[in-house]
Amino acid sequence: MNPFEKIFNYRILSRLDEADSIALTAHERSWLKTMLEHPASADAFAAETLSRLRDLLQDETAIESREYIAEKAKSRERQVYHPLLRPLRRMIQQGRGIRLTSRLKHGGVQSNQNGLPVKLEYNMVKREWYLLWYNARGLMSSKLQHIVTAEPILLPPERVEALRSRALAILEERRTYAVIEIVREYNAELSRILYAFSCFDKTVSYEENRDLYRIRVSCLADESEFLLSKIRFLGRRVRIVEGEQLRRRMRESAAWALARYEGASDSQPAAQPPEDADSAS
Amino acid sequence: MARESFDKEVQFLRMLALAGGAYSRQQFADRLGISVHTYDKTLRYIKDMRTMLSSDAADDLAEGLRYNHYESADPLLLFLFRSKSLKDSESVRLAVLIGLLQGEALTAKELLDACSDSMPSDYACPDEKTVRGDLKYLEEVGVIRRMEGGRPYKYRADIDLIDRLADEELLDLYDYVDVMANTQVPAVQGYLLRDTLKKALTRRGYGSETFDVHLYKYHYHTRILDEAHLYTVFEAIRARRKLTFLYLSPKKGKNYASKNTNPLFERETEGRFETTLPLRVVYDHQYGRWYLIGHSPRLGTMKYRMEGVTQIELGDAVDAETFDRRLEVIEQELEHSWVTDTHRRVKIRARFYNPGRAGANFVRERVLSQGQWGVVTDESDTTFLYEIEVNGIYEIKPWLRSFGSSCEVLEPAWLRRELIAEWKEIQAYYEPVREDL
Repeated sequence: MNPFEKIFNYRILSRLDEADSIALTAHERSWLKTMLEHPASADAFAAETLSRLRDLLQDETAIESREYIAEKAKSRERQVYHPLLRPLRRMIQQGRGIRLTSRLKHGGVQSNQNGLPVKLEYNMVKREWYLLWYNARGLMSSKLQHIVTAEPILLPPERVEALRSRALAILEERRTYAVIEIVREYNAELSRILYAFSCFDKTVSYEENRDLYRIRVSCLADESEFLLSKIRFLGRRVRIVEGEQLRRRMRESAAWALARYEGASDSQPAAQPPEDADSAS
Repeated sequence: MARESFDKEVQFLRMLALAGGAYSRQQFADRLGISVHTYDKTLRYIKDMRTMLSSDAADDLAEGLRYNHYESADPLLLFLFRSKSLKDSESVRLAVLIGLLQGEALTAKELLDACSDSMPSDYACPDEKTVRGDLKYLEEVGVIRRMEGGRPYKYRADIDLIDRLADEELLDLYDYVDVMANTQVPAVQGYLLRDTLKKALTRRGYGSETFDVHLYKYHYHTRILDEAHLYTVFEAIRARRKLTFLYLSPKKGKNYASKNTNPLFERETEGRFETTLPLRVVYDHQYGRWYLIGHSPRLGTMKYRMEGVTQIELGDAVDAETFDRRLEVIEQELEHSWVTDTHRRVKIRARFYNPGRAGANFVRERVLSQGQWGVVTDESDTTFLYEIEVNGIYEIKPWLRSFGSSCEVLEPAWLRRELIAEWKEIQAYYEPVREDL
């Protein structure tokens, strides 16, 4: 269906908004009908809601064109929905605190941890959901699949506000940045390189007399390993020019990779080298 | 009248989103192949649209479209799909009609009467023919439904999907649409529905804290711009029709070429006109980019980056047999493509090293998750092997390299040598002391 329909025009939309009216098109219903075929729908709705939705959409045609699309280089779709999304989103929206019991990485269970749920975050690379929440130990990110139980607790609104702004402040403090330069011989591949970094918060600068592009990427410190894997992905095309920690890691990556290939154990550092595949990606 | 094309807006927004802030007005205009005057005009149009649609659109667009992941998951680029031109009077009329049909079923005559009360005073009342034309259009796009029963027909806004759901059900629906639009393709209609449901929830008293609960990390926002062409491409595939378009190879550095017939644009056309029989569309998750895969009688299998496709038009149809034959060939060719590469098949063997510290084996997890059809076998306590037969090495090499020292390519020997050479060059980039040449 053509998404460029006049019914979607911004003037109509703003007039409908003013009048509090709603226009729902067949395009949107068809899309929904198609998406409800995904097994994730079973986790997203109560059974009766799902069957009501299917009833309401029975006269629509699903988008047949999905078969024309081949998705490539996709991470295995571990999880699109998680049953905990529904209760957790309500706790966040209603400003509730949370009492969590979760499985630990190395086995065992940690119970009754109190905190404030802040956001639900989907990692598009790992294809998995996380809960961002704040507690006495700081800002935490827990896989939903590791959460055993999550119960709401009542917190006074001003406490919620204080905790939430502290959590957001921590996110801000954790920000780090790197400046990545496109090696000039690869300027012809500018588009590919910019696409690769388009999943980050970034700005680009261009120096005309040197024909030089630089990308300033801002991310959380614990995302820097994922950023590094992107930089290694692009290989010789880019070089980190600011961000000492990242530069050091790239230097190590290259030295350790070469040590692997040369099988020269003497050039390999004593410490266990290869942490390159990083947990973040 | 020629079909309205959104090439300029698409390319404009793509450049803003990808390289935002990098260029001066002149540089930006040069790269798009438009005049500075057109640049200003387009920017003003997009800004107007944004201001009308959202209250917090004050940020400077010319600086680029930046995403602050933790603030909002609203897709900024969606307003591209809200840019179809429309006369002001028509937008008023359609909005009035939709408004009148919200809760009530009315005939064309009744609507005509009601219109005269509802139309803003500075707009003329529509005549019956216009109203009937509007009703026909609204019925076609599914916004209104003709009620059962004979003439005169009654119409009503088709919003049962919303009205028949309780508040909590509607909230679940909003979440589902949000998740699916962000994680699946195609997504544009999903984002449009997300907007509609957001409005419906707001109408039921849900506040702003309801909407930005989900975040999507490492999301390729620009992918929805490439969906602009999908409809035409799908229409062509369905009807087995060829497509002609002006292809601007993204490597050439110019991203848009104005039509010479349009007096607004005075530059020469660059790029080349292509005719191809479209067969499939590929979405590459590594870059968030789309490809058009087609067949050309002279050159065989063709792959185009969707971002380079402009001035797209439907051409002649081919017979079903020809189409099926071509499709079968392409599907076979693509079966072993990491993305779209159809070069000769190569067998790759690589050794991966498990992380040294105890805990989750994220190297193995990542290989299993991203290694497509490759096969993993255990080798030792510290290593495992990965084998894959893939078309060419060009597309898989970056992925192997992204593992750094956790991956060692064993075969083919020439790929191993290539990677060694690359790592040496990369190492040289980070030498502590650089010679001042």
